[in-house]
Amino acid sequence: MDTISTPVKKLDHDLKMSGAARYTDDLQIPDMQHGKVLYSSVAKAIIKEIQLPQLPEGYVIIDKNDVPGENFVHIVADDCPVFADGVVTYIGEPILMLVGPDLKKVRELLSQIVVVYEEQTPEIDFRKGETFFYHYEYEKGDWQKAFAEADQVLDETIETGYQEHIYMEVQSMIGMKDPNGKITVAGSLQCPYYVHRALQKALGLGPDKVCVIQAEMGGAFGGKEAYPSILGCQVAVAANKIGKPVKCVLDRRDDITVTSKRHPASMRYQAAIKDRKITAIQADIRYNSGAYITLSPVVLQRGLIGAMGVYTFDALRVEGKAVKTNTVPNGAFRGFGGPQTFFAIEMFMNHIAKAVGEDPLPFKLRYLAKKGDETSTRGRYHFHIPMPEMIEKVDKASGYSQKYQEYKNQSGRYRKGIGLGLAYHGCGFTGSGERDMIKGVVRLHKLANNKVEVLTAGTDMGQGLKTTFVKIVAKTLGIPIEDVIIKNPNTDFVPDSGPTAASRSLMVVGKLLNRAAEKLKEQWEDGEEQEVEEHYVHPEFMIPWDLSVFQGDPYPDYSWSANVVEVEVDTLTGVTRVIGAWGMYDVGTAIDYRIVQGQMQGGFLQGIGYGSIELMDVNSKGQIRNNSLSDYIIPTAMDVPHLQTDIVDHPYEGGPFGGKGAGELPAVGGAQAYISAMESALGTNLYKTPFSQEDTLEFLTKGAK
Amino acid sequence: MVTLRNGYIPETLAEALKIRSENQVVPYAGGTDLMIKAQPSSYLFLNKLSALQKVEQDGDMLHIGPGCNYTMLLNHPAVPKVLKEAMIRIASPATRNRGTIGGNICNASPKADSVLILYASDAELKLSSIAGERIVPIEEFFTGRGKTILREDELLTDIRLPLKGLDDYYYYKVGARRAMAISRVAFVGLLNTENGKISRVAAAFGAISDTVLRFREFEAMLLGKTLAEATALKPAFLAKYQEAIVPIRGRVSAEYRKQVCMNLLADFLNSNGI
Amino acid sequence: MTDTIRFRLNGEETESHSDPSARLLDVLREEFLLTGVKCGCKEGECGACSVIIDGQLANSCMVALGSVSGSDVMTIEGYSKTKRYQKLSEAYAEFSAVQCGFCIPGMVMASEALLSHNPHPTEEEIREGISGNLCRCTGYSAIVSAIKKASENGEGLW
Repeated sequence: MDTISTPVKKLDHDLKMSGAARYTDDLQIPDMQHGKVLYSSVAKAIIKEIQLPQLPEGYVIIDKNDVPGENFVHIVADDCPVFADGVVTYIGEPILMLVGPDLKKVRELLSQIVVVYEEQTPEIDFRKGETFFYHYEYEKGDWQKAFAEADQVLDETIETGYQEHIYMEVQSMIGMKDPNGKITVAGSLQCPYYVHRALQKALGLGPDKVCVIQAEMGGAFGGKEAYPSILGCQVAVAANKIGKPVKCVLDRRDDITVTSKRHPASMRYQAAIKDRKITAIQADIRYNSGAYITLSPVVLQRGLIGAMGVYTFDALRVEGKAVKTNTVPNGAFRGFGGPQTFFAIEMFMNHIAKAVGEDPLPFKLRYLAKKGDETSTRGRYHFHIPMPEMIEKVDKASGYSQKYQEYKNQSGRYRKGIGLGLAYHGCGFTGSGERDMIKGVVRLHKLANNKVEVLTAGTDMGQGLKTTFVKIVAKTLGIPIEDVIIKNPNTDFVPDSGPTAASRSLMVVGKLLNRAAEKLKEQWEDGEEQEVEEHYVHPEFMIPWDLSVFQGDPYPDYSWSANVVEVEVDTLTGVTRVIGAWGMYDVGTAIDYRIVQGQMQGGFLQGIGYGSIELMDVNSKGQIRNNSLSDYIIPTAMDVPHLQTDIVDHPYEGGPFGGKGAGELPAVGGAQAYISAMESALGTNLYKTPFSQEDTLEFLTKGAK
Repeated sequence: MVTLRNGYIPETLAEALKIRSENQVVPYAGGTDLMIKAQPSSYLFLNKLSALQKVEQDGDMLHIGPGCNYTMLLNHPAVPKVLKEAMIRIASPATRNRGTIGGNICNASPKADSVLILYASDAELKLSSIAGERIVPIEEFFTGRGKTILREDELLTDIRLPLKGLDDYYYYKVGARRAMAISRVAFVGLLNTENGKISRVAAAFGAISDTVLRFREFEAMLLGKTLAEATALKPAFLAKYQEAIVPIRGRVSAEYRKQVCMNLLADFLNSNGI
Repeated sequence: MTDTIRFRLNGEETESHSDPSARLLDVLREEFLLTGVKCGCKEGECGACSVIIDGQLANSCMVALGSVSGSDVMTIEGYSKTKRYQKLSEAYAEFSAVQCGFCIPGMVMASEALLSHNPHPTEEEIREGISGNLCRCTGYSAIVSAIKKASENGEGLW
């Protein structure tokens, strides 16, 4: 029998498969002008002068003086200018946009602009930085006593690097102005209402005078959560000034240089150990925010909440800082602060296990969080945590436990290793955000022909949201999928159901749709046009979250993962191949089994890339040295074996048909599995991601540093 | 011949050489290096010139038309395995379908995967112009990174690859990933013996210096020696390379690339019983 | 002297008057409005702009217009009208192998180029065949499975 999990053909399959889907750069609009942005080439400076070439007719400069509202992009705080105002604070900061009818000419003119800087000393190293955008602390239990009484203290610093999204479609946006002065922005964006609010502020216009439309989106992974607000304001300001449509599509090298990335992190972990048991943990965490706040506080919060990983400890202290540096502002990337701390705690647990003479897995099993446990932030794990079952399954599929023993003493040129990484991902917006800030609204509009249109601000970036939303509504109403209509969101028509982020869309917005459909079903009248609306309701069981003390339930529920990676290392060259990868996941009930599988596999490979080959090279001047796809490399089909993933099915009662967050989870647990495998192959402890060929050979030549 | 508003499409080699001698043109073979920059240029399109796409064996000498793309050569039975192994690791199918061995040579990158093999196998290049032709050893063709002795009126018209003794080879390319990878280090070693004595040693290193590196004076240390004698000389032999290999600094550390060179060189000897 | 480059495009004789040194990618997208050909990098590093030229896969960003004079160029727009495409599309759908879709037109052309030369590829050969086509969404597993399935179901088509 078909269940909600039974796969269907994705609704956007034919359009995308045949090349007929129109992404932003494919849209043809009469009289379209092309914009290119001039970015700062230095990390910190006062702009003394901008020397412009003679501009031919039709070519226009757009800068801060053209911003009719406030020259700030509204994100979390309003600290990031639409165009630089006399100073630049990172390499890649937008200074002005040159707009004109011919793109080649625009490029040529842009290259002739000279900016005279008075350079200042930039702050590049976030490990040393002393300016903090945010600083949080929390604790639980008597950790001081535990450290005072410990018979052993383990103290390590673990670091994670940048990760660049490499969505295949670069950031792209079109701004348009209608004769009544209304501004419309269409483009590749995750969160239409984020852009909508930013446009109001920058343009000084009311909500009815701006409109945001999502075009087909070629991947995002968090990278199109905040940046589209910046680019959106820029094309809107340009269109507003010249009265013609303005398209801006970033070049790949610019996209890598100027857009947000995963925050690099430096994390000092200390463990108090008594009688070979962990009695307390301390974590001091720094995330590199870059030059502006953008999404950093929320990213840091999620990282800190997850600082103890999938484990329950009675005593702990966590402190975290978002450090300001003169580097590109970092932001959302699948996992949203989680991959850093989950990597650190997993490596730390490996090392503690070895320090007390145990293998990692049996050691970790004893600390696994379970239903009813108090969380690190004194919330509660309210629901069943299927980790033991998942670990057993992934162990069986991969042969982890046996191979871990086999790989302990190896010699010869090629050495194998196997590693296990555990992670969770909190579903939904952190803390009380869903209740206090987002307050999501959805609508179902039934037409007279009995077809039902889904109206939300949710965007499909490839994760299959159109298909899963339609499945939820059709199944609830008991009508065929073909009778449910879903389009790309346009803020003139859809209510604000919140951002497409935080693994919230399916669980939170999907549940609203589920309830709306139930309501519509009750009121259903054949042949009548009807509309129902649903508003977010906060789960009553949640222990209220209080950010000021960092306490309570940050999420109603969590998704769980257990990943295993097997590697083979060439000891002559450090070249490492991934020869096996297995993942087991709990995402509640899959709303579509194949879509979930696709999410798990794609995220898993991003996690493996994060641990292995994705190295972003930033020099002491704050310049990204590898801003091309040949230098910042992601895995090809040859770099990965068949990813063997599966799910366990434990419905989450608060989600639609038992579903909960899935999108981000697999990216949280890949790197620790990979680096653990490297530890197994090399027979040592490792402390960072990515761990490159160079690192491997250096270890093999000189030993651990 | 087709004369374009900006560029030329010759139908014969003679036409191509004539255009080359009379005009400022950029020879376009496969385009896979040129088009990265894609500057408006007057191209001499050689990509359909069949005269440059032949592979012919003449005894122990293989004549490879420089216009052959990698896919053609990978499918050709006369092309030696060592060259195929280097070419199959170039970029991806799409690039191998367009990129040519002649372009790989004339682009003069020290990372050129096919050039490494041509160094070790003592290949020669034929350079032609309307005035005549000259044959030069591959090592003399390159004068630096991106620099060659090819004159403005010349085209590379033949690659002469001596086939003898290429079966016993040791090859390894280190890229950052398994496909679409630019060489970080590439190494090829050839070692032949006759009557128990080493008759040929060739060791070439790619992606290390401004050109591919090969040290004939060090190789000579082992010539005429038995394997046992060579084994005794091994420390001195390796020491020469340890001193001579100085990788140019790059994004991948010089220390790493040096260590890989030495590891592979030692393993090459090892695999030959030295 | 001529300013005309003649070639076959998706089965039809055509001509372009663009600069012969222009990227084929730009000519296809801007002059012929074939926007199924995607641009991901313009450096031959992503495969999103893959087309088939004279039966061989090529990155159209790395091809100068003048070099396809007299050639047969096929883009996703032409290929999507074929039976082979239907077979591939069914298989891609069966594995939900299309996520954001941006790499897909290029990936489909790579799939066709692979199967046309090797109708029954092994998994390793499939991975090799699409190794120049980056996909950031899927982890490749579903795409590899789909190509394998198309090859099994496509008896006689390739």
